[in-house]
Amino acid sequence: MKKALPLLLPPTLWLTVFLVLPTAALAVSAFSKEGLAALLEPVTWFLFWKSFRIAVVSTAFCLAVSYPVAYFIAGCSPRWRNLLLFLVVLPFWTNLLVRTYALKVCMEPLGWLNTESAVVFALVQNFLPFMILPLYASIEKLPKRLLEASQDLGASPAVTFWKVTVPLTMPGIAAGCILVFIPVLGIFALPEFIHERTHLIGSQINLYFMKNRNAGAGSALTLVLMLFTIVLTWTYSRFRKSEGLV
Amino acid sequence: MRKALGGFTALVLVTLYAPIVVMVVFSFNESEYSVKWTGFTLDWYRKLAANEKLHEELWNTVKLALSSTVMSTVLGTMAALAARSSFRGKSLYTTLVALPVMVPDIVLAIALLALFDAVALPLSLGTAVLAHTTFNLSYVAIVVSARLQGMDRSIELAAQDLGATPFEAFRKVTLPAILPGVLAGAVLAFTLSFDDFVITFFTKGSGPGTLPTRIYSLARFKVTPEINAISTVVLAASLGLIVTSLKISRVPVTGGGR
Repeated sequence: MKKALPLLLPPTLWLTVFLVLPTAALAVSAFSKEGLAALLEPVTWFLFWKSFRIAVVSTAFCLAVSYPVAYFIAGCSPRWRNLLLFLVVLPFWTNLLVRTYALKVCMEPLGWLNTESAVVFALVQNFLPFMILPLYASIEKLPKRLLEASQDLGASPAVTFWKVTVPLTMPGIAAGCILVFIPVLGIFALPEFIHERTHLIGSQINLYFMKNRNAGAGSALTLVLMLFTIVLTWTYSRFRKSEGLV
Repeated sequence: MRKALGGFTALVLVTLYAPIVVMVVFSFNESEYSVKWTGFTLDWYRKLAANEKLHEELWNTVKLALSSTVMSTVLGTMAALAARSSFRGKSLYTTLVALPVMVPDIVLAIALLALFDAVALPLSLGTAVLAHTTFNLSYVAIVVSARLQGMDRSIELAAQDLGATPFEAFRKVTLPAILPGVLAGAVLAFTLSFDDFVITFFTKGSGPGTLPTRIYSLARFKVTPEINAISTVVLAASLGLIVTSLKISRVPVTGGGR
């Protein structure tokens, strides 16, 4: 403890001032007349529901697309593996708005812009690396002998997949889903690029702050989003711990 | 089966990269209306080069990224080193360090906005630097922690046993060993800051912005070759940073450690 203190103090102090205090300030601002009024508005809960629905759909598509890709990459030779993983991660290093704009360039002549399906497509495309990487990590660790045993005992490839592969890669599935679901729930800017009138919880928070000058209402929505994220992360970390004990 | 999976993977990669390629190609298109190719031109880039407001925004982006990178690299490395010892409240500490990465960007942005508002601090690029340092601190701490996990602590302890002060042991043994991790963390921080839109948008105030905030206000409602050109420039900058980080992470580890 004594030795760690000089190292511990500066980052802890920084995070106290720029993370803990802001959260307190957010709560104070949220528990105002405007904030509580915003929480009673039906439109708030409609938007939370809509954001939740889009996040669930995007996460599900992301998982469905990523699993075969991660499975394929895990079965490649090390050289191909590294190349494919690099290609999957590379877009993450570039600007999100630039990538979304590039999609927009392609969607416009196709007449696909301004639809909810285009928004979901853009979200899935953007968050793929967050799903593929944890899936790959858990598929790659899969003990081959268990798969062989299952087939030797007469299970078809489909049965082996659903009864052995999927349960054993559950930690990767859970990690990927949480890494995609949380940022999509609070997404801002990307949906507006693809669909001008998309209104999700992120756009509503922006509206309260930048147009309506109603900081209390914006803070209340943000606080709910934050609490939701914390509960979800906390549940996930408990789930992961129990996984580790088995 | 393997063939089908390979084909599917190829298709996914195409959907990832094709839009970017189309955007770059059409930044060289003569026609304003980017649907049809009419001929090669560099006009859109000439226009950018002549746009002084854009120069200012580029400079703001670099200033913001550089200052938040320096601060977050120092703080994040300290946070990672401190996490090696055990102390009371450590699980709370690790949660605190990981939180900026976990919550959606907009949550961190609005919370900071509420703080700046509560203490009546006027928003500027300076407040954006504080915000960027906060999220980058976490990313640097995670990258450096990963590096530390592969390190043999006994060499450090041996240095101290042989009479080095903790600071000397740090400077001569620990730091050289974790330097590639620290540099990789710094490049990641710079890239994240350079590309960030949401946090900058809410914490910079109404003053001059950065390249991402410019792209947001231009590209939300329309598609033009000029926006293609700005986007291509930002893309090229990001790719340059990746190449740098790959070079750094291949730097061999010298002086102790693994």
